[in-house]
Amino acid sequence: MKYLIASIGLNVVLQNCISLFFGDDTKIINTDEVAVGNQILGAYITTVQLVTIGASLLLFVSVNLFLHSTATGKSIRAVASNPDLCNIFGISSNKIILITFGIGSALAATAGIFSAMDTNMIPTFGFNLLLYGVVAMIIGGVGSTTWLIAGSLLVATAQNLAAYYIDTKWIDAVTYIILILFLSWNPLGFSGKRLKKVEV
Amino acid sequence: MEYVLHLLILIALYTLLSQSLNLSTGFTGLISLAHAGFYGIGAYTTAILSTQFGFSFWLGIPLAMLISGAVAYVVSLIALRTVEDYFIICTLGIQIILFSIMNNCMDLTRGPFGIPGIPSIYFFGLSLDSKISFLTLSLSFVAIVWFVLRNISKSGFGKTLIAISEDEIYSQSIGKDVYFCKIVSFTLSAMFAAIPGALYAHYISYIDPTSFTVNESILILSIVIIGGLGNLTGSFLAGAFLILLPEALRFLGMPNSIAANMRQIIYGVILVIVMMTGKNGVRELFSAKTKR
Repeated sequence: MKYLIASIGLNVVLQNCISLFFGDDTKIINTDEVAVGNQILGAYITTVQLVTIGASLLLFVSVNLFLHSTATGKSIRAVASNPDLCNIFGISSNKIILITFGIGSALAATAGIFSAMDTNMIPTFGFNLLLYGVVAMIIGGVGSTTWLIAGSLLVATAQNLAAYYIDTKWIDAVTYIILILFLSWNPLGFSGKRLKKVEV
Repeated sequence: MEYVLHLLILIALYTLLSQSLNLSTGFTGLISLAHAGFYGIGAYTTAILSTQFGFSFWLGIPLAMLISGAVAYVVSLIALRTVEDYFIICTLGIQIILFSIMNNCMDLTRGPFGIPGIPSIYFFGLSLDSKISFLTLSLSFVAIVWFVLRNISKSGFGKTLIAISEDEIYSQSIGKDVYFCKIVSFTLSAMFAAIPGALYAHYISYIDPTSFTVNESILILSIVIIGGLGNLTGSFLAGAFLILLPEALRFLGMPNSIAANMRQIIYGVILVIVMMTGKNGVRELFSAKTKR
């Protein structure tokens, strides 16, 4: 829990550093001329979006391979299931946690680049995207990499259906209503804890 | 002088906000990121009642507290079935839903245009639109809320809440209804948050949804954590510090735009340090240093 609050603090710091150094105004990376995009199955998709889909599938598969076939990846999964036992077997859990934090941040940076190319960017634009990611992660199941796709698809589909049938401005509310409904259906989350116990 | 009074009023409002959050976060250990949402409910309730229905402030404030408490009660029935990180994310979701309602329900809240022309407060026919009289009013609310919260924390109920924040299973094993106590403390905390909301609406006389965002919730939570969990005086001091910080930076010759960012950077850094060292607030951070 303390990591969550500390990371919120870190988010505030980084976000304000960005707006100190680069200003609060909207920035655009994509210098190409605005084009209609490629028509696929009757839908218009820009090249950037196609690249995003391809790159995220590639990253997803490679992260899965990394987690399941390399020694570091296996240690990451071992630390996730039992950090104390890992320390006994000579895997430093702190080191592994730092590595995962690094990999996670690198993946987040890639997502940031693609979404900045797709739309444009302001210092605060990461927070909302992160929150959608958190919702997808909780729905897909913490610690399960394959179900993440299902969670993300569900969240994204619900958002776009909400935009189509209700209004685009209710996207955030719909996302969180899904999360809260999900948590009220499965309140234990995936930690299996209903009550807090003192950590010794 | 007006400027100093304005700062003092802001400090009073943030004291009310952080102390009310301290009831659920500090005593019961329910870290909530939905506080700005309840603050907003208080502000919008009194603003709508006074501009559209001509209700006076004194009738608006209990109604605002009731509505905020009712929303918090319904929300807590669902949110409190989760624990720890899931609870924090749940409250974050509630905050965003409340903000969406304030920002998008054009018929009720006029959305991003906000509600202008909220009348000033009348006290027995006496208009409280000067800053000094408004400060007196807010200070008396601070005194009342501080007194009530102090008494709650010293009562048996308060001791139960502290026990819950330390160990829920143990509290349940000695026959305390953990779920019920958590709901009561969350609801009470939201009801108290409606008071500064109502005061803010009548003080600024114009409200719009940007005052009640996630960042505001994070600021209130940081005040509570920096001041120390369960420490009412600490909340007051931390609130005063964070309000006066950008003003102090401005006196040091920093431009306005940088001072606002610097404040957020400074409180973010303090938040990270306090959380990672596991100390309860800044006071403990410094006292531990002097002991060594």
